[in-house]
Amino acid sequence: MRADTTDTTTIYTTAPQGAAWRRSLARLSHALDNSRMFPALLIAPVLIFFIVWNVIPTLWMIGLSFYKYSLMLGNERFIGTANYLSLMSDDQVWAALGRTFTWVVVGVGVQTLLGLLLGYLFWGSRDMPGRRLALTLLFAPMILTPIAAGVFFRLIYEPTFGIASFLFRQIGIEVVFLNDRNLAFASVLLVDIWMWTPFMILITLAAFGSVPKAELEAAEIDRIPWLKRMRYIVLPNAKFILMLGILLRTIDSFKTLDLVYLMTQGGPGNVTDLIALLLRRKAFEAFDLGWASALGIILLLAAIAFTSIYLYILNQNRQRQQQEVI
Amino acid sequence: MSRRKGWRKTLYHIALWVVALIFFAPIFWIMLAAFKTKDQILATPPQLLFTPTLDNFVDLAMRPNVSGYFINSIVISLTAVAIALLVSFLAAYAFSRYNPPGTNFMMFILLSIRMVPAVAVVIPIFLMYSALGWKNTHFGMIMFYAMFSIPFSVWILKGFIDGVSRRYDETALINGGSRWHVLFRVILPQVGPGLVAAFIFNLIFVWNEFIFNLIIGGLNTTTIPVSFSTNLYSAGGLDWTFVASMTTAYILPPILIVFLFQRYLLVGMTFGTVRGEV
Repeated sequence: MRADTTDTTTIYTTAPQGAAWRRSLARLSHALDNSRMFPALLIAPVLIFFIVWNVIPTLWMIGLSFYKYSLMLGNERFIGTANYLSLMSDDQVWAALGRTFTWVVVGVGVQTLLGLLLGYLFWGSRDMPGRRLALTLLFAPMILTPIAAGVFFRLIYEPTFGIASFLFRQIGIEVVFLNDRNLAFASVLLVDIWMWTPFMILITLAAFGSVPKAELEAAEIDRIPWLKRMRYIVLPNAKFILMLGILLRTIDSFKTLDLVYLMTQGGPGNVTDLIALLLRRKAFEAFDLGWASALGIILLLAAIAFTSIYLYILNQNRQRQQQEVI
Repeated sequence: MSRRKGWRKTLYHIALWVVALIFFAPIFWIMLAAFKTKDQILATPPQLLFTPTLDNFVDLAMRPNVSGYFINSIVISLTAVAIALLVSFLAAYAFSRYNPPGTNFMMFILLSIRMVPAVAVVIPIFLMYSALGWKNTHFGMIMFYAMFSIPFSVWILKGFIDGVSRRYDETALINGGSRWHVLFRVILPQVGPGLVAAFIFNLIFVWNEFIFNLIIGGLNTTTIPVSFSTNLYSAGGLDWTFVASMTTAYILPPILIVFLFQRYLLVGMTFGTVRGEV
């Protein structure tokens, strides 16, 4: 649509009937204006993007997942569900899923607890001097690319001159964080926690901020004890936003790739090999694209399931807010 | 909480500042490194006090490829987000006002696109781009990132347009305004905050994006995050002065954005699904 109009522009502006063209354009825009097609016309560009960059690739991937297709070997043949069966019985996949599960549960768990604690601390900091700058510093980690965060911590964890190694050496412990099979996972997870605790602080602030002020003031006047106030006033109001935050974090954490890729590339051995890293290696190092597509489809279905839960909670929250207005 | 008086209040504020500084410390450490000489970075014990030098930044500016990475990052992110915002605004308006059949399903699918792990998304894109010859082209990267930015933009803008009363549309139409007039002169100015939030957060997402660029980009389209990963692993040892000064230059824009647009942070980090005061 847009390509057409620009083409005609270049043709007609050089031709003498420029005015006629302009009139016909005006007529066209008037016709579009009154047509029932108007909404369809507005949605069309997004739909085109969606079809070209999502529907077609996804269908392609579904098709590919039933093929033995390797860019290295160059053979291509239909093998039905063999890829799915093979990844079901692949120990590597289950091991990576297990590590990802630990990664998500421990990571999001710690982020949520710390976020709640620090978010509570920051709740009521309205008149803090330099609040805006302090919050910028506090929220900076989550706004950076995991790649940059990985770079920082490679410098900090560096075995010879890294400051963390230095501090541990001062108390007599010699540690190599990223090359130690026992420490690598925890060291990388710690960076993830550092990056995303600020997000849970932000969510906690928003959640506590959504508690009606009148209810809080009434509770204060009635001298209701802190524990009861939290339980009966703050948490019932705050829980939806908190749940949205935790779920969003769970989905994101499940997808983790960049940070680990930069810090350890899944090593040493495979102790930090999360599911997304495994998928990347299979697809773009082994080039076993049929197998990788099958795993991709399974992750896609998992993402759709997560999104459904997310929207369900979101709608619950909307309904609650509407009831409050009524 | 805010009823504290006198020194207790001061203590509370100091505690908050300490927390903020602890979270910022790792970033501060690499920023310090950017002003150190190579020997100072490699020194044990690590040096906190030193005479700062700007040599690393001069060196950074002189490197042949670096300006290319920065230009790629800037051009690709700005163009992609601008395209995404335009088409998303149109669609969000249609979804909000006409509520065509399948709106909810479309919104759901758009959100789930963003929930899928990037590597799973990029496998078929990689094959498609290889077949069409779009790999390592600016067109391919920009259109892909535009697609990547659309879900979030539609979500955030639909939320904001839902908040504008339909009476505005009706009044303008009754007074003889065209639908385009309604769209761009009546609605657009009222969803300014939504546009700003969508713009800056998509910009940050594209600016930070790594895996798509690594796989479907190439030498011509390398953005900064990918240049880190390749520079870190090639050339034997790590060139820490280069890495430190490059990271510092690279992370300053997002931090500045957070400082300037702090009130959009919440809506930006939750795909426009949560709004509120922070």
